[in-house]
Amino acid sequence: MSRSKRITRRTALRGLGVTMALPWLEGMSRPESARAEAESKAPRRMAMFFVPNGMHMPDWTPQAEGPLDALPPILEPLEAHRSDLLVLSGLTLNGARALGDGPGDHARCVAAFLTGAHPRKTNGKDIRNGISVDQVAAKTVGQLTRFPSLELGCEPSAQSGNCDSGYSCVYTSNASWRTPTSPMAKETNPRAVFDRLFGRPPAPDIAQGGLQHDRLEKSLLDFVAEDARDLRGKLGTTDRRKLDEYLYAVRQIERRISTGEKVTQSAEIESKFPRPEGVPKEYAQHLSLMLDMAALAFWTDATRILTFMFTNAGSNRSYPEIDVRAGHHTLSHHGNDPAKQADISKINRYHASFLAKFLDRLGSFQEGDTTVLDRSMIVYGSGIGDGNRHNHNDLPILLAGGGDGTIKSGRHVRYEENTPLTDLYLSMLQRMGVATGSFSDSKGELSDLG
Amino acid sequence: MKLAWPGIFSSIVASMLLTSTHVFSQEASGPESSTDALQQVVRPFFERHCFGCHEGSDAEADLRLDTLADSPPVARDGEAWKKWNRVLQRVGSGEMPPKPLPRPDKVELDRVVAWLQKSMQTAAADSADPGKVTIRRLNRAEYANTVRDLLGVEFKADEQFPADDVGYGFDNIGDVLSLSPLLMEKYLAAADGISQEALDSLSRARWIAVEPKVGATLHDAVRDVLQPLLMRAYRRPVTEQEVDRLVRLAETVGVEDASFDESVRLALKAILVSPHFLFKVELGPNPDGSEEVRLLSEFELATRLSYFLWSTMPDEELFARASAGKLRADLDAQIDRMLDDSKRDALVKNFAGQWLELRNLSSVAPDGQLFPSFDDRLRNDMRTETEMFFAAILSEDRSVLEMIDADYSFVNGRLAKHYGIAGVDAGEEFRRVSLDGTPRGGIIMQASILTVTSNPTRTSPVKRGKWILENILGEPPPPPPADVPDLNEDEQAVLSGSLRQRMEQHRKDPRCAVCHVKMDAMGFAMENFDAVGAWRTKDGQFTIDPAGQFPDGQSFRGPAELKRILREGSKDQFARCLTEKMLTYALGRGIEPSDETAVNEIVESLAEQDYRFSALIKGIARSDPFQKQRRTRSSP
Repeated sequence: MSRSKRITRRTALRGLGVTMALPWLEGMSRPESARAEAESKAPRRMAMFFVPNGMHMPDWTPQAEGPLDALPPILEPLEAHRSDLLVLSGLTLNGARALGDGPGDHARCVAAFLTGAHPRKTNGKDIRNGISVDQVAAKTVGQLTRFPSLELGCEPSAQSGNCDSGYSCVYTSNASWRTPTSPMAKETNPRAVFDRLFGRPPAPDIAQGGLQHDRLEKSLLDFVAEDARDLRGKLGTTDRRKLDEYLYAVRQIERRISTGEKVTQSAEIESKFPRPEGVPKEYAQHLSLMLDMAALAFWTDATRILTFMFTNAGSNRSYPEIDVRAGHHTLSHHGNDPAKQADISKINRYHASFLAKFLDRLGSFQEGDTTVLDRSMIVYGSGIGDGNRHNHNDLPILLAGGGDGTIKSGRHVRYEENTPLTDLYLSMLQRMGVATGSFSDSKGELSDLG
Repeated sequence: MKLAWPGIFSSIVASMLLTSTHVFSQEASGPESSTDALQQVVRPFFERHCFGCHEGSDAEADLRLDTLADSPPVARDGEAWKKWNRVLQRVGSGEMPPKPLPRPDKVELDRVVAWLQKSMQTAAADSADPGKVTIRRLNRAEYANTVRDLLGVEFKADEQFPADDVGYGFDNIGDVLSLSPLLMEKYLAAADGISQEALDSLSRARWIAVEPKVGATLHDAVRDVLQPLLMRAYRRPVTEQEVDRLVRLAETVGVEDASFDESVRLALKAILVSPHFLFKVELGPNPDGSEEVRLLSEFELATRLSYFLWSTMPDEELFARASAGKLRADLDAQIDRMLDDSKRDALVKNFAGQWLELRNLSSVAPDGQLFPSFDDRLRNDMRTETEMFFAAILSEDRSVLEMIDADYSFVNGRLAKHYGIAGVDAGEEFRRVSLDGTPRGGIIMQASILTVTSNPTRTSPVKRGKWILENILGEPPPPPPADVPDLNEDEQAVLSGSLRQRMEQHRKDPRCAVCHVKMDAMGFAMENFDAVGAWRTKDGQFTIDPAGQFPDGQSFRGPAELKRILREGSKDQFARCLTEKMLTYALGRGIEPSDETAVNEIVESLAEQDYRFSALIKGIARSDPFQKQRRTRSSP
């Protein structure tokens, strides 16, 4: 027996690393398993962006309905994408309303933003929300890509304290929910996202030992899954939920190993997206890098579904880089003070300028005779209208991207009061190929999109 | 909504009733705890003093005393229980009935408060229950510490894993800790890296007790290593079948000339992602038994204790005691031993760091122009001071009440300068200093807390007052009513009055005043400390006025007197608050009405032992919720 013959494995930093995302690029071939599907139907994608504390609505809402001739101040940074935008006014998030539960609008507005559900008011026991729209889509189309969905953001989950009026921080930090009890943790470190997507270039002995590695990894997963099933059988209801989460996660990883796409990183990717160093100290750089990673994930078809939180709920971040020195949440209770409203508008506009860069990226990725942007549906907005009133109707929502020719952009549409935001989500799900007639509290497809 | 106060009429009626109602002359053992007393004493009191606002479907704060007073408190009804608790707190502290309503007669008031206390205690004792802790995943800190102690490998879990979500103020709550596919992926990657490092020469001696002998079969060699490892990793005795299964997995490496290392490494990776390692499993000695409430097994107790005090797995001695069935009997001695170990620092980082919201210090961003002295070094100094302060009370087993008003703290040169404390040499090193003759002392006057409770450009007396209510007094204020107009901060208003004057104007709405009287009084007492905790006597052009008064009439001239009032007048409240916070952390679940009796017992034993820190920890470890477990929890 020999101890000297030791295979050099990749370290933790490499992530799983056994598979590499395949860029869905011109002239590159896709793995057999996905090729047929990809050739018959080009991928559609959806991204959901959350920004906190509502919006200064007078500077957000376009003056007139119909063609977007001029953009309001907050949307001005998106001028180059005017024809890619559909501003949707009048939509409502009923689940975020108090409905007898009292204060906690910030927690509810994140929890409900993508679920439409009314989260149960609890600081921990019996957490319950709904299933979010991205996860419904991921259930159907997620299996076509390495990652069914990606959850990204710039702020890790809150680290202590009471987050909002008796709601657990799990509601304020997570917008994506796979089940009513299982939030999808988000990644906030751009380098970790990069390593997840690509890993580092494999050492030569690993490249040839890859199959052996996959085989062992599978035995290992079989082993622990059996542990989990066995343990699950001995536990009560609430404990079982935790083991269900475990088993689901194991299945996802098994799937990724068995569909094994192995592609090395191309020089083109490397030139456009160098591996990030870590988490930048400056918010602007951090946000830019995370958005780059989101764009990269779409470009390489690592996923077609992503959610992105600019901050957690009720962020009190200040923005000295644009000379907004008070905290955002404090400002948002503006009491109609014009100076505060101007500052809020500045923050809103600043955030929108990052969306513009993301759209630039997607627009630059050619895919057949069109672009990734044209094939995407990107929702951007907040679950609160005016931060001072904490209202959940007439929300600031826009839809960017052409949805593969299914969305008629370059317009402003106003809907009847109390039209559910989830109507939009239903329309998006159908475009993603999910056969469903309803989502959460939707009343029907949102009219006048295409 | 009724804003018309019952006014003078009720006070006349009250004084008439007071002298004629015979039940008031009964001894404490009389009808006070019975339904009779509820109808004869308490309900009439509510009618006179409270129904003006708290009656009918439009009752203030959603508190209907007319229906609540239909029956005495029962702990099983959680919602009603919370309401009774609020009544006791508010009436007891004098916050209710609010000014300008007349104060109830003191004898009458004392009777009602005594009845409330006694009925709640009786009800709590009737429904005491150890509860059920939802199976807890190791959080990031616990994972890193456990890997360190199991294998001798340093792993930076806080850089590799997504942040754990927080419930009840802590990130170790079973119900809130979920396991996303992202995290499972990270667990696998971590296991890959950790298992590799664990086989390096530096770490391997820690867990590979005997290197394989020449001539031993691979099977035997692997088995010899895995058996003891598995028991430590799963924190319980393991069966032969479990070991065999793992050895079989190890043997699947099966490449030609399969090495010992490769085989063991695969098994180790499996251990590190097994649910038995990642979750603190509590199945008991007899998982198939039928008892609804049971004592935890000795190994389960060792695990609870170890993660409570050290945020890591049990050490050899705890395992040995558990193995001999002697841990429960030796509990106090083991706790003393554990508190002597430097691993107790985990309690500082993880318990104090979250209880006091110190962890939020890393994300605050005081405005650079207004507070040029604030930088990352000062930020770290602030954290270090509070951590060292808490650690000193813990390690020297001092009275927990010193947290409110200690006359010492820990500073280095930079922090001393920030505080204006003379005679401390420049330099990075922290040392204990006397605060005699300075306005500071106790946690609430430390720069860390003062900064965490401020906005980027100014102090927030409301946040500071709220922080004290939540974390020191255990009286979290209910959220503000909807549609409250905001504080006027336009230039005109700012020029015409101090922050305090504007807030007092703002507070004229009686719905706001109820909570804000006490909250703001405490917050304004701290106004001598700016948004990064430096001393000041003026806020802009306005002279700071730190004087204030509590709803029960106690007044103070500034922070030093506030501190004394809190220490003397609110020590029971503080002891209870700290107990509830620490019990939450120790159990990994929220506190329920059925825990009330356990909390009472812990608080009592703490008071009997001069509030020494170890008494609190031992009281928690001996309590039923910590020692026992209900089999299942009904789910809504």
